Amino acid sequence: MDDIDAMFSNLLGEMDLLTQSLGVETLPPESSSSTSKEVNFTMGFADMNVESLNELEENDFDALMADLMADLSATENKLVAELEEQKDAKVANPDLPAPPRELSSYVVPSLSTTTSPDTGLNTTYTPLADSHIPSFSPPQPPQHEKPSMEDVEAQIKSDKIKLALEKLKEAKVKKLVVKVVMNDGSSKTLMVDERQTVRDVLDNLFEKTHCDCNVDWSLSETNPELQLERGFEDHENLVDPLSAWTRDSENKVLFQERTEKYEVFKNPQNFYLWKKDKKTLKDMKDRDKELLVEENFCGPSIIVPDLEGVLYLREDNKKSWKPRLFLLRASGIYYVPKGKSKTRDLVCFVQFDNVNVYYGKEYKNKYKAPTDFCFVLKHPQIQKESQYIKYLCCDDSWMMTLWVTGIRIAKYGKSLYENYKTSMAKAQLTSAWNNRSTTTTSTPSTSSTITNAKASGKANGYAPQPPEEPVANIGIEPPPPPPLPPAQILPPHPTVKRSPSPNATTKKLPSLPTKYPPSQATIFNLPAPPLSQDDSSESPPDFLPPPPPLPDPGFLSLPPPVSFLPPPPDSDFPLPPPPPDPAFCPVTNRVPKPAPPPRQLYMGADVPAPPPPPPPSFTPTSSVIKTAPLPPKRTTPMQAAPPGGGDFMSELARAMAKKRANQ
Amino acid sequence: MAVWDLSVTLEDLGAEAPPITVSVTSDLHIGGVILKLVEKSQVRRDWSDHALWWEQKQQWLLRPSWTLEKCGIHADARLIFMPQHKALKLGLPNGLTIRVRACFSGSVFRTVLGICKMLNIRRPEELSLLRPVEEKKKKKDKDLSEEVYDLTDVPLTSVHSLCDPVLTDLPSCLVSRPCLYNGMPAHFADSPKTEKVYKIRWLDSSRSLMQQGVQENDRLWLRFKYYCFHDMEPKYDAVRLTQLYEQARWAILLEDIDCTEEEMMLFGGLQYHINKLSLSEPQAMTSTPAMDDLDSALQCLEVKLDVGGSSPQDLLVRYDDSKFHITPKRLTLKGYKQYWFKFKDDSISYYKSKEESLGEPIQQINLKGCEVAPDVNVAGQKFCIRLLIPAPEGMNEVYLRCENEEQYSRWMAACRLASKGKSLADTSFQSEIQSIRSFLAMQQTNPSTNSSQTDDNINTHSLVSPRYSKKYKTKQLAPKILDAYQNVAQLSLTDALLRFLQIWQALPDFGLSFVVVRFKGSRKDEVLGIAPNRLIRIDLGVGDVVKTWRYNNMRQWNVNWDIRQVAIEFDGNVNIAFCCVTADCKIVHEFIGGYIFMSTRSREQSDTLNEELFHKLTGGHEAL
Repeated sequence: MDDIDAMFSNLLGEMDLLTQSLGVETLPPESSSSTSKEVNFTMGFADMNVESLNELEENDFDALMADLMADLSATENKLVAELEEQKDAKVANPDLPAPPRELSSYVVPSLSTTTSPDTGLNTTYTPLADSHIPSFSPPQPPQHEKPSMEDVEAQIKSDKIKLALEKLKEAKVKKLVVKVVMNDGSSKTLMVDERQTVRDVLDNLFEKTHCDCNVDWSLSETNPELQLERGFEDHENLVDPLSAWTRDSENKVLFQERTEKYEVFKNPQNFYLWKKDKKTLKDMKDRDKELLVEENFCGPSIIVPDLEGVLYLREDNKKSWKPRLFLLRASGIYYVPKGKSKTRDLVCFVQFDNVNVYYGKEYKNKYKAPTDFCFVLKHPQIQKESQYIKYLCCDDSWMMTLWVTGIRIAKYGKSLYENYKTSMAKAQLTSAWNNRSTTTTSTPSTSSTITNAKASGKANGYAPQPPEEPVANIGIEPPPPPPLPPAQILPPHPTVKRSPSPNATTKKLPSLPTKYPPSQATIFNLPAPPLSQDDSSESPPDFLPPPPPLPDPGFLSLPPPVSFLPPPPDSDFPLPPPPPDPAFCPVTNRVPKPAPPPRQLYMGADVPAPPPPPPPSFTPTSSVIKTAPLPPKRTTPMQAAPPGGGDFMSELARAMAKKRANQ
Repeated sequence: MAVWDLSVTLEDLGAEAPPITVSVTSDLHIGGVILKLVEKSQVRRDWSDHALWWEQKQQWLLRPSWTLEKCGIHADARLIFMPQHKALKLGLPNGLTIRVRACFSGSVFRTVLGICKMLNIRRPEELSLLRPVEEKKKKKDKDLSEEVYDLTDVPLTSVHSLCDPVLTDLPSCLVSRPCLYNGMPAHFADSPKTEKVYKIRWLDSSRSLMQQGVQENDRLWLRFKYYCFHDMEPKYDAVRLTQLYEQARWAILLEDIDCTEEEMMLFGGLQYHINKLSLSEPQAMTSTPAMDDLDSALQCLEVKLDVGGSSPQDLLVRYDDSKFHITPKRLTLKGYKQYWFKFKDDSISYYKSKEESLGEPIQQINLKGCEVAPDVNVAGQKFCIRLLIPAPEGMNEVYLRCENEEQYSRWMAACRLASKGKSLADTSFQSEIQSIRSFLAMQQTNPSTNSSQTDDNINTHSLVSPRYSKKYKTKQLAPKILDAYQNVAQLSLTDALLRFLQIWQALPDFGLSFVVVRFKGSRKDEVLGIAPNRLIRIDLGVGDVVKTWRYNNMRQWNVNWDIRQVAIEFDGNVNIAFCCVTADCKIVHEFIGGYIFMSTRSREQSDTLNEELFHKLTGGHEAL
């Protein structure tokens, strides 16, 4: 609500303009709205951390550029797509009582204008757009039923206003360019927007690194100045903590496996029954472990491990560490003053509302701590040495893990368990998918057709293609262009890319091209990864409903819907319906329509980022490869979208080209 | 067969009336005896609820087809013919007493089932009856005149039809929360701690009330006995939730369960919030607050959807209205220099003067994530807001001094909201101001006038346990409670109740019932704590937990009824045995069995109560 309010106040003038112009004639408003949108985009772009952009390596820049382009064009085209759909709806709806003059006049111009955006249609629906889809759909159905022209007009008008609002909203979304350091010391650069949770970013990274997706993977931040480290929780927003970093910060974001992340759910006895002897704990039956988790995390309130023990507290600004008896309770950490009883005279040391818990590294050296097993409690905003940081030191690493985990349980409660369940589901499905793909590989005799018929995972891979074609053709007389470019340029690339991965995809590839136009093959190729990804987040083998989770704007999350949805159109409509736009019922139409774009988006945007060079390694490098896939992406919109919203994109593309030339 | 005389007292005729003698043979069944008796009594009335009670043996003769011989009744038996349902004074967790007709002939378990059904409390197996602590007459005996809600007219239907609640219109007393005690009720305040905690007064749930010596119009307490509250659903559990809250509240206020000062203040804040809500919207509880929430959520949603709708103008107006510019306020900053302050969104900006407030501020402070604390002395007319604002270098401490109460309330409320990332447009802004005012008022008025007011001003001492009300003066206590209250002020009534219970359940000692026992082979008394999932052994001297045994490692447990000893075997050949000192071993046995029964519920899909299993697990030799 607030956002919308703010947007209103910010762009009041523009809105007025829009409302006025949203009359019967559509052409002018269209252009006006698109200009306003461009303004917003520029603003959004300017918001980005330009400094960091400059610091990036060339290849990073390419990747980001692609991301950004995709973003922009997607939003751009979403508008068009919306209009298109409206138009489609009207065209497709035979019940509409002889469309009045004005209405038809509306249709015609918009048709002509949309030609350009059409290409965009393929690339529509950014992650951002994705989240708004639902809010758009309601107006659609009513449209058919409302015969009254005024209603229709009003509808159109309000839709446009909504659209404009959406765009304003998107422009305001804060985005950060984040450099994530991998396990092997290499790094990847991502764009993270403020609505993304750590979980989303992790999924994104899984996609890019093809790691095993186990539950231990986590993002963590380090603060070299304070020698701190903390694993982000999956439900946290990534942008928030990163915004607390100072400008000159040397903090880093790491992508690594942290076994302690969910250890409490794997071996709850070590945390909840830590006083018992080691052997009983080790021999704990699985059933008992489950029971423990159930008892402590599934009740009406989360039970915090019963922790107490002597910890060393670093005295404020002094170099000494004083031992004290500390207790953990759900409400905070307490200590027992000297000579007082343990039950009644507890003094609150810290509550968790405003602090995070960090591991301190090598404090023996830095602060003369008794041991190196220290943890720290501080407000996330504090980045430098301060009296408001609380330092505690444990006897051994196990006690430290106990305390830190206990504090996390007290602070995050149920979310921690929810996160774990999500991670588990993800990991299991990923492994299920991997297993399955290996089995398919093992029986290479299975022809691709069979797999296709069975609508196995792979089949889904290319299934999306059919609908995509019609969509692409909607407005354009010369239909092939959009699909083709990727076909020409991408094929070699994906193959190369896939080959290192253990997936079966590569093996199947050869047979595919024979059956389908090259473009499809390539496309198929690419989607594979998203498939597996989405697989893992939902049911694996059955391909039930696609998981439209908003995992994130991630380009990756979107493809799944595409791959699942297409089949229906397949059967319902003639498969090769080149100019079928009116034939589609608007509703069905709208579904596949938004979907395809992400795929391309994905190609354009994503390929460069995890550009595994021909040699099978995941490390991001070689800008050569990256450049290859990029051009199509950029050029396509340029060629195809001259009148509509192409200007800005082409400008960007030109800038890119210029940059490249300068190299 | 020989005919002999059996004399039966008819309770309805009064205690003085002579017993009625009927001639019977040994093979006459009980039904026949009753028939003869009724005929001879010449009283015309509905006798269907009456049954024979055998006084010497302390047992009911409830099987009409059994013969006198089979029952073992001879001419010397003293039988009383009386109704099975009698009035009982029942103390509820919320401190109210109701008179109900309860079954005196069935097991206490069934009696509780019947009572709970009448009161519309789901999951009656979690509750039971216990004898009250003996009330000592105190000098100021206000409690004598306590109100008793008579529910004896409510028809008691058979326990078997548990489908719909008997009371569709709940008496308001069941969901009311009378919280404005001025001090503690006498009987709560001074029962010696040890007796209260360790002396278990629970009735045996497998025997009837009559068998346990409970007489008509006796007073019993109805309480939650097993601390696992299955399937709490605010929609259906209005009474259950309220009563549980009251029980939890009293457990905390009476220090039955230890909590820290911070926790106590939070409990106090929650109580204050709950009081306020239940006073302001007495209907909310009965008319399913969940629905209200939903309604408001939907309304909110509607507004959201409407944003792009046909009337953007309306929205603009609305927005402007709620925006609430506090701009023209003069405050002083640390060092008490005057500046012109402006509050916008979630930050404060300040300027040299009002005239310059259109330009660039001297500084802008973003309050999101900061700590806001009051620094107020009403008597000294000092109204400061202390802000701890996080920055990379640490926390910046800023004091804002307001001119008066009114200004302070508004700015304080604004700071509070901003620290949570909410703007002034938030709906809670006004209520925030209100509560800050009322807390200020609390510090202002002197205690004597305060206690006479009941509605708006609360007595802080009723919100915390005596330990803390002794430790702090009202004006010290009030800001602490207010501080905690701020964090929960946005909760709806139901959410606040649930939050209260959650925090209660997260306390380390939650769910423990204590009994003093003597372990086999040990010479001293120790305390056995019985929790929903485990038994703990506590050293009475130190108060430390010595050992923990979990039920899921338990192989079996036995009671030797002759020597009254409980023996338990755990996995890994761990055997323990103990005798109970402060309670009968049946009570301990029932607790263990009861908790095991409770844990079976979650797995069972059906909602029907498996009474037989409960009886098997808790009945002891009666079950055999």
